[in-house]
Amino acid sequence: MPDKHELLTRLPTEFGGLEAGPIERVEHELEPWEKRCHALADVLDFHKIINTEEKRRGVEALGAELIGKLTYYERWIVAFSNILFQKGILAPDDVARKMQEVATRLGVNTAEHAHANDCSKSMPS
Amino acid sequence: MVDLHHDHNHEQDHGDHDRAAAGIGTGDYVPGYFEMLEMSIGELLVERGLIGAAEIRRQIEVLDSRTPALGAKVVARAWIDSEFKKRLLANGRAACEELGISFYDDTGLIVLENTDNVHNLIVCTLCSCYPRPVLGLPPDWYKLKPYRARAVTEPRAVLAEFGTIIPDDVEVRVSDSTAQVRFLVLPKRPKGSENFGEKQLAALVTRDAMIGVVPVELS
Repeated sequence: MPDKHELLTRLPTEFGGLEAGPIERVEHELEPWEKRCHALADVLDFHKIINTEEKRRGVEALGAELIGKLTYYERWIVAFSNILFQKGILAPDDVARKMQEVATRLGVNTAEHAHANDCSKSMPS
Repeated sequence: MVDLHHDHNHEQDHGDHDRAAAGIGTGDYVPGYFEMLEMSIGELLVERGLIGAAEIRRQIEVLDSRTPALGAKVVARAWIDSEFKKRLLANGRAACEELGISFYDDTGLIVLENTDNVHNLIVCTLCSCYPRPVLGLPPDWYKLKPYRARAVTEPRAVLAEFGTIIPDDVEVRVSDSTAQVRFLVLPKRPKGSENFGEKQLAALVTRDAMIGVVPVELS
């Protein structure tokens, strides 16, 4: 019962007070796409398309397993996709088509990334 | 599910990333799923006129212009100008704006002063809220679980891991940031810096001191 209560009252991203290991003082220079992703978040906020609270809730809605597996900006971009789908601003098919176009333009082997399109179509909404 | 290109060697990948970001095809660099998703979302929003392509570029420049040097300038000014310090503690955002530091978001800023009796530490237990306009982007450790989990319940142990021992008679205050309100620590001016000028003082102030995990020391 305490476990269920904990699950009910604690968001998957709410870490305050949990047991955790030592602090490893890691940092890294953002990769270009990560920086673009951050700038995109700010611009989406400026335009009131996705605000900071919505972004945080979007990440929480990914659930503990995905949150644990994705890196910081991977969580953000997946959360943005889902929020944009939910708001009806973009459709999953639009994103799948665009990803195909981007892949072709960048010379990415599309067979290798075919699963990517399937992924965006089946993204939980 | 998806092969995460993050696992690759960052050093080696970097140049390729830059070329790919510039839209130049390279032989061996393959952008990952999430990078292509980011490009796709951005391009679709631009095509539909919901955001401007130039806005993203401009915001990248804004992000690049924000470094802990800005926060250090604020701290040094507060150390030498007691009237400024009063205004800074009363309204952090307004005082920073006075120094020409614009806030590109809707966040407020509360500046917390370290004294002989109080040591402040900032954290965001829920996500990664941080005083970005004055410090730039947070380090990874600030965003990861150990710091966020433990800073609120065992701050002295956390500080000790940064090599900072706070005497028992000094109160440790931990401030948990929110989407609307961010914090910045005003560290104690180090002993021996009495004759330092403003720029010399600013050069002593580190990002980690303004998060509150280390003191400012004479280098």
